[in-house]
Amino acid sequence: MKRTVTIASALLAVLWGAGTWGAEHPGKSQIEKDGYKGPATCEECHPGKTKEFLGTVHWKHASKVDNVDNLDPKKEYGMKNRIYTMCNGNDVVNNLKEIPKNADGKSKFTGCNTCHPGDHLNDVGSTGPAAENAIDCLVCHSTDYDFRQRKPFKNEQGQVVMGQDRSTKAALAIGKPTVKNCMVCHETAGGGVLVKRGFIFSKDTDAHAAKGMVCVDCHKTKNHKIPTGFDPNNWANDGLRVACGDCHGDKPHKSADYNRHTAKIACQTCHIPRTGGAVAKDFTVWEKGSDGFYEPTTLKKEANETVPVYAWYNKTVRNEPHFIGPKGSRKDGKSKIYPFKIYMGKAFYDKKTGQLLSMDFAPPMANGNTRAGVESAARTLGMKDPAAVAKNAVPGWQTIYFGSNHLVTKAKALNCINCHGVNGVFNFKELGYTDAEIKKLTNPEIYFNQLIEKQKEDW
Amino acid sequence: MKKSVAVLLVVAIVALGIFSLSGVASAEEIKMVGVITKIDIAGKDAKTATATLKDNKTEKLVVITINDDLTLDKFKDHRIVEGDEIRCKYEVIDGKNVSKLFRKTAGC
Ligand code: HEC
Ligand code: HEC
Ligand code: HEC
Ligand code: HEC
Ligand code: HEC
Ligand code: HEC
Ligand code: HEC
Repeated sequence: MKRTVTIASALLAVLWGAGTWGAEHPGKSQIEKDGYKGPATCEECHPGKTKEFLGTVHWKHASKVDNVDNLDPKKEYGMKNRIYTMCNGNDVVNNLKEIPKNADGKSKFTGCNTCHPGDHLNDVGSTGPAAENAIDCLVCHSTDYDFRQRKPFKNEQGQVVMGQDRSTKAALAIGKPTVKNCMVCHETAGGGVLVKRGFIFSKDTDAHAAKGMVCVDCHKTKNHKIPTGFDPNNWANDGLRVACGDCHGDKPHKSADYNRHTAKIACQTCHIPRTGGAVAKDFTVWEKGSDGFYEPTTLKKEANETVPVYAWYNKTVRNEPHFIGPKGSRKDGKSKIYPFKIYMGKAFYDKKTGQLLSMDFAPPMANGNTRAGVESAARTLGMKDPAAVAKNAVPGWQTIYFGSNHLVTKAKALNCINCHGVNGVFNFKELGYTDAEIKKLTNPEIYFNQLIEKQKEDW
Repeated sequence: MKKSVAVLLVVAIVALGIFSLSGVASAEEIKMVGVITKIDIAGKDAKTATATLKDNKTEKLVVITINDDLTLDKFKDHRIVEGDEIRCKYEVIDGKNVSKLFRKTAGC
């Protein structure tokens, strides 16, 4: 009962959203009259929104993190400063800049903070009136944004600026963020289209998109705090969380046979049977493209092209130089079995400490010299003798488990035989089941009657 | 009312099924990487567009027809522009090179 109410209200919200979609933003006529002058224009009617935004993950690319091993609980972590092998740079060491000229005498701009809604002069985590005025409100709120404007360039003082569309035209198309507003950045996370998570949010790939839902219908945002979940690699968070159960409860099925599994098996395990995006990258060797610039060598896969790995997860994270992934066990009373996208990245490690090193992308992008990138990053971080660090650095692989939380399907959800059949998707032994239990769990006795019933229904 | 919509949907899906089957049977997918030299799209409501790619390997110009909404939208708001390098898969249907995948290669 309660569950149907939540879903009904969520659906209602969707329909309502669709209904008001055509409705105009009440501020439109005034913006038309006065023109758009940046966030100050919005502040006139929405006081406090700009200052509020400066405190969020989307501005800071960092927050305190309390569920990951080997971190300092007093410090903030995120894409600002993290060192791992999905992106071997970060906002600090791979700061937006013009790279050295390549062999053809060409240069270009690159840096991790191109995915930041500021102007780079007011960068990740900056504060004060200048920062408030630099926020790109329209990248999330306009449906008429001209992305030719959102490009880095050099101003008269020679500083690298990240451009924005600040036209009045764009400011006349204000609304709640659409899928595209979010995907502008999220689709290209990890250095290219569908590299990091490989999720396309379209009616063909996601049951919720098929119902007309958008990102913020689930990621219900309060004062610009956007809720997230517990992906072992999404460390920075705004303190709010979203879960499937928020709307569906833990007994969402007509069939009791499925409902009995939700205590031990996460919704995603059955409802997201595929994953996608890059499966491996080599940051120690970059490949030259046709434009004469180099990119990390990357093994790419389509959305839905790979199968996940299953593991117990209690929402705490093992974090070591060669491994980032879920902690948990069958026995701890808190874990469920979740699906993960496995990714492996090769990068340089510090010969002395064994710690993973990071990289400034500017040198390798120009000439393929990856050790020069390590040296530049080591210098930025104030490490002792950066040249020696780079020269002695040892290549190695890191295994990373990414959460798999989109691409929801009902029709292709795992059914009894996908798991309990002899050739099922689970490795019961690795998941901690005894031989005797496995014998029982893979015997047709478990599912035979249910599937016979289903067969009768289907035919 | 609801039923008729459902029936229509089923018909549409069946029709689509036949189409894509025949597509698979007759045409084969061609892959290429190339730089966009020209985009032709007729306004905000366009349901189709063409992009001319210069094939990196052969240096030949290939005109690709694009019909999927996601890519059309990227032309309209200029997330994809002339000069971008594209990884493209297409099929030859009725003499046209119809795009099945059209994606920027670079990211970082
Ligand atoms: C002249 C006053 C005025 C100005 C200027 C103005 N707004 Fe609004 N806006 C409103 C009113 C009134 C509402 C409806 C009530 C509310 O949500 O506060 C609204 C609603 C919104 C909503 C909610 C829309 C929805 O459908 O959920 C967003 C988002 C928004 N404004 C963003 C902005 C942004 C960004 C700017 C600056 C470009 C801006 N507004 C400028 C008056 C204004
Ligand atoms: C300007 C680029 C950009 C846009 C636009 C953007 N994001 Fe993000 N988002 C990021 C980056 C970068 C991170 C990673 C921050 C980190 O981990 O340090 C992130 C993190 C997140 C997270 C996890 C952290 C958190 O805040 O909970 C969620 C959830 C999220 N984004 C959802 C959205 C949604 C929903 C939208 C659309 C309303 C959106 N994003 C629009 C760049 C963007
Ligand atoms: C990273 C994306 C992002 C950026 C950048 C952003 N917003 Fe928002 N904003 C959101 C989301 C998500 C919501 C919640 C929408 C919903 O669920 O209706 C929201 C809601 C709002 C609302 C209406 C609800 C409320 O909280 O009052 C206003 C007004 C608003 N934003 C103004 C602004 C202004 C002004 C700026 C620039 C200073 C800005 N936003 C920048 C994502 C963003
Ligand atoms: C049906 C609800 C739903 C919709 C729609 C949805 N998400 Fe999520 N999203 C979730 C849930 C639930 C989680 C976290 C689950 C967990 O970790 O247990 C999540 C997690 C995330 C994360 C954290 C990293 C990860 O993948 O776990 C990001 C970033 C994110 N979503 C972005 C988006 C964007 C962008 C869109 C729109 C294109 C979107 N989401 C649409 C439910 C949704
Ligand atoms: C914000 C609320 C919300 C969240 C969070 C959410 N859902 Fe849903 N879900 C819905 C609504 C609304 C529907 C449509 C219900 C309908 O049409 O009857 C739906 C439908 C579904 C369906 C049925 C689709 C179909 O084709 O009938 C499945 C399966 C599902 N959700 C699974 C999930 C999973 C798995 C998650 C977590 C990754 C999740 N949901 C998160 C609201 C939510
Ligand atoms: C053991 C596998 C399994 C787990 C775990 C599971 N589901 Fe399902 N779910 C299914 C299957 C299979 C179907 C399709 C049933 C059908 O078509 O008859 C389904 C159907 C649904 C439906 C559509 C309603 C219905 O009864 O057909 C919703 C909504 C849903 N699941 C949500 C969830 C959510 C939310 C969770 C986590 C709390 C979850 N499921 C956990 C396998 C599972
Ligand atoms: C995603 C994989 C998965 C699917 C799909 C699935 N199961 Fe299971 N099932 C399991 C796992 C794992 C356990 C053991 C859970 C535990 O540790 O308590 C289990 C336990 C059971 C048990 C209890 C066995 C015992 O005596 O302990 C029964 C009965 C069962 N499943 C029947 C079914 C039926 C019937 C279906 C289809 C309607 C089904 N399962 C679908 C994974 C699955």
